[in-house]
Amino acid sequence: MPAENDREQRLFAAKRLRADLGKTGIYFAPIRHHSVACARAAQALIADVRPEAVLIEGDSTLDTLLPALMDPAAKPPLAVLVLRKADGETFSSLYPMADFSPEWVSLRAAVELGAQVAFIDQPWAERKADSQTRSLMNERYYAESQTLARLAVQEHCRDQDELWEHLFELRADTGWEEFFDEVFTWSALARLDYEPQVLEAEGSLARETVMTAHIQAWRNRVTGPIAVVTGAFHTLQLIEALSGHEPPAASPAPAELRRDKGPWLIRYDLTRLDAYSGYGAGIRSPGYYQRVWEASDASPTAACLVDIARAANAAETTDTISVAEVIEATLQAERLADLRGHPWPGRTDLLDACASCFSSGEQLPPAVRDAIAEVFGGAKLGELPPNTPTPPIVAEARAWAQRLRLDVSDSLRRHTVLDVRRSASARERARFLALMAFLNAGFAAKTAGPDYIAGRNLGRVREEWDYAWTPMVEAALIGLVADGATLREVAATRLRRAERELDGSPNRRSSNAVAQLIAQALLIGLGDEAGRLRDKIDAMVERDPELSSVVGASNYLLGLWRSADMLSIDSPQSLIGVVAKSCPQIAYLLEQASQVKEDAEPAAVTALLSAAELARQLADPFPDMADVIYSAIARLRDARKTSPGVLGAALAVAVPGTDPGISERVLAAFAPGGDPDHAVRMLAGLMQAAPDLILHVPEILDAIDAAVARLENEDFLLFLPELRRSFTFLKPFETAKVAERIAQRTGVAAEELAATLAISESDMRLGAAVEQALRASLAADALLEWCDA
Amino acid sequence: MSDQILRVPAEERYADELAKLQQADAATGAALPPGWKLSPKAVRAFLIGDEKLGVTRKFYGDDPLVDRAIVTLLGRQGLMLVGEPGTAKSMLSELLAAAICGNSNLTVQGTAGTTEDHIRYSWNYALLLAEGPSERSLVPSPIYRAMQAGAIARFEEVTRAAPEIQDTLVSIMSEKQLMVPELGADARVSALPGFNIIATANLRDRGVNEMSAALKRRFNFETVHPIKDRAFEIELVSRQLDEGLGAERANVKIDRKVVELLVTAFRDLRSGTTAEGTAIKRPETVMSTAEAVNVALAAALESRYLGDGTLTATQVAHQFVGVALKDNAEDAKRLRFYVDTVVRERARSDRDWKVFQSAATALWG
Repeated sequence: MPAENDREQRLFAAKRLRADLGKTGIYFAPIRHHSVACARAAQALIADVRPEAVLIEGDSTLDTLLPALMDPAAKPPLAVLVLRKADGETFSSLYPMADFSPEWVSLRAAVELGAQVAFIDQPWAERKADSQTRSLMNERYYAESQTLARLAVQEHCRDQDELWEHLFELRADTGWEEFFDEVFTWSALARLDYEPQVLEAEGSLARETVMTAHIQAWRNRVTGPIAVVTGAFHTLQLIEALSGHEPPAASPAPAELRRDKGPWLIRYDLTRLDAYSGYGAGIRSPGYYQRVWEASDASPTAACLVDIARAANAAETTDTISVAEVIEATLQAERLADLRGHPWPGRTDLLDACASCFSSGEQLPPAVRDAIAEVFGGAKLGELPPNTPTPPIVAEARAWAQRLRLDVSDSLRRHTVLDVRRSASARERARFLALMAFLNAGFAAKTAGPDYIAGRNLGRVREEWDYAWTPMVEAALIGLVADGATLREVAATRLRRAERELDGSPNRRSSNAVAQLIAQALLIGLGDEAGRLRDKIDAMVERDPELSSVVGASNYLLGLWRSADMLSIDSPQSLIGVVAKSCPQIAYLLEQASQVKEDAEPAAVTALLSAAELARQLADPFPDMADVIYSAIARLRDARKTSPGVLGAALAVAVPGTDPGISERVLAAFAPGGDPDHAVRMLAGLMQAAPDLILHVPEILDAIDAAVARLENEDFLLFLPELRRSFTFLKPFETAKVAERIAQRTGVAAEELAATLAISESDMRLGAAVEQALRASLAADALLEWCDA
Repeated sequence: MSDQILRVPAEERYADELAKLQQADAATGAALPPGWKLSPKAVRAFLIGDEKLGVTRKFYGDDPLVDRAIVTLLGRQGLMLVGEPGTAKSMLSELLAAAICGNSNLTVQGTAGTTEDHIRYSWNYALLLAEGPSERSLVPSPIYRAMQAGAIARFEEVTRAAPEIQDTLVSIMSEKQLMVPELGADARVSALPGFNIIATANLRDRGVNEMSAALKRRFNFETVHPIKDRAFEIELVSRQLDEGLGAERANVKIDRKVVELLVTAFRDLRSGTTAEGTAIKRPETVMSTAEAVNVALAAALESRYLGDGTLTATQVAHQFVGVALKDNAEDAKRLRFYVDTVVRERARSDRDWKVFQSAATALWG
């Protein structure tokens, strides 16, 4: 395979070039971001070669942050926040650093040595636009490499991360030279899987050109050794370019300071560094690696297992994990490490030991899983030097609040009442407060007023809010920047995330859930998002299989349409367009929902009633739409397959312009020869839908009374529970009226109908006598203990 | 001899591979745990293969599970393999026992009729009456013998035995000895190094018992999952089909697409989701890879002896019925639904599915 040969030759040539560059004083530290082993090796390299300059992969405009980063008061986890404007939108990106990040360790080692430090990567603002990538340290190359995937299979590793740990994190100290040599080979294997076109398209080549130019410039500037700390993926290209084997680098991108405000240094935490938390730029198990870093040369295995057991036991939901079991798990981890050829147990060995020793079934108990997540995730929070400038989102929120004349001069809690129907400025304030509440910034909470999300109190015209600008609010706002640069942007990101979660959930066909998102978007003033979601719901409402969901969605949209002025909705008519579309779907689903088994009847009746209520709401402004639903309900009355309970409800619901002839239908159902089960279920549906009918239409009650009188005793007992349930829909005073009427028919006083259980003295005496006789008889047969049992 | 019996135990079937691994251990000077015939690494190689030594892979899909299982057997805890039926739990247990102590036959089968005698020891009653209790009249259980020999005992389907019978294991596993009071106050058998127990259990099937917390604590649990990767399952079924047919393989023409169809149908029904991601009704019967192999084998034999020697979707459909329709009337409806919807849709664009559909429809009408 010539291609394979070419790759090998290129790799070996690059290794020689790397050695040659070392002789000229340029030392490469090819790293993986957040790798403890790489951090230790980089530290050793810097201590060994004592470089005059340490060049680190990172946006070259970040140099302004160097003083803050070098400040002894700065304690990781920290993150650099970079903002960029493109196409009128602001994008944010993060560059997180933990105690054990090679970049951080190199920087601090350089500071100790008095070496110069510089960031040499292309400014982010000039990189190819890729709004999807919020991380500046993306390492998807490795995950996508075919060569590494094959290597993982060969080494019995589950994935690239396990392979990396197996090969690099878990190895006895071999010195930084050999270590970086192997990391270089490993990453070059991944690199050689890529076509140059791909690398060009995603911007790697452009970045490497800039890095090369910086390294060359530094070579000309200083005479002593230089250490270059970059992602290992780039090292091959850097070496080839510096050795002149690649086309000479174009002159470095002019340091055109098209910088937006920032960059900013912010506090970060290990939780968000966790790759599983979805913030990107993360690693798996940062908490575990923090422990590895702090343990310096010892492995934190036993400590981790003890803490996991403690955390799981503290939850008190599972069998206590005993000390013996922790010891067993520690041994298990050590033996696994031994079997796999690791000098000490690593992350996967530890997790495998937990899986073996802490489960007593098919899965780990939830408490143990949570405990592992807690210990492996970590919670450490970084610290900033005093007076570090804060990112613009804080200033934005503050300025916005001040513009709306909300008092944020101190941290006192304040109460405000907003007349959103009359005043435009009140509406503006309400939107802002709702936005801050949506973002969980801890700034504002609504204490009264319409709740558009829950669909409650929609008739209220005033909103009441409590708000306070506290240091916690500032901290919360800074925490938001991972999702966007401005408040609206963060809100949009969160809304889209909620949408994505919905799309991935079993609810994905629910138009009701989307309508809820629309309400949320409108409430916080994100009209564009609402418009987009409207198009989405427009496309899905005809495919939503759930009657209650379609009805719910229409209710939401109708409610929003009615509140259009309070919510400052631009084109409320488009919402009604969706409702118009959903009416035929409701009609269709009503027919489907009408044919259900007995136990599903109450739910079907509830759905039917909600559809009828929607029709009633629609009738005034949009009679045509209401008609679609009404005629569907009317059809149910005569359809043969309609379940009796639903039929009862359909009869009871008022449909304008029709007379269902309820009393005749009830009479017919209870007439001799009718199926009593059918009749009783129909009655239940009718009573659930309109309990008061029985009072207003005396014939119905008569029919029931006659029918019940005719029932056989056994049948009566059989249907009694259902009959009882039917009558529970009545209010107490209605029950009293029904009793009165029954009493009239049967010729007794209403009070006599109430069942009483009167026991006379003689009854008591008789009972006591019977008991005594029974005891005596049992005593005679030596069976008295039966009595006491 | 071994050609004539239906199934030879793993240690005989793979005797040459075990010998090779033993030699390799000796050559590298690998340390053997007390009582073990192979080093842990060699045991692993026996299960997941070693190309250099010419050792075949026998257990597929979850290498870390194999690591954990081996390491568990090194310690005090027993190994409990749980999971759905047909996920190769018993095979894994047999292979581990064969590799570790060269004997996979020290096996107790758990059933509702299992008694303490099957786990501890019983007596040859003729000798017992003639001579009284003696070592001669005692009949040791497989577990008893494993303790004496420092070997691996296997307890299959442990949850099918009654809980109080299962609990006989508790003291054996914690004390590592078994008292035999009939032979004298101090008579006991103490386990030699290398003794351990591999149990398999089904936690969800009908007719299985609970396991006591005390017993659970003596075991490390490992769940064996159905194979995740579709392509790999097809590969595995094809390979096992070839193995199962043996000499008959030359007489049957097998189209890989038919095997693919079979595996796809099994996977759809097992997971309750089609390959396209649509949710379907999931039958209650077990649709394991092992069952898929059985269907493939029966279908191939049908085509060999009752057909024209070409395996088609028709025979697959015929044999499918026997596996998928056991005793559950609801399952029949679910399968008909599957044929009426998913299969019908695929039949539009694929000849094999069309054949499958018509054969299945003819059977289930």
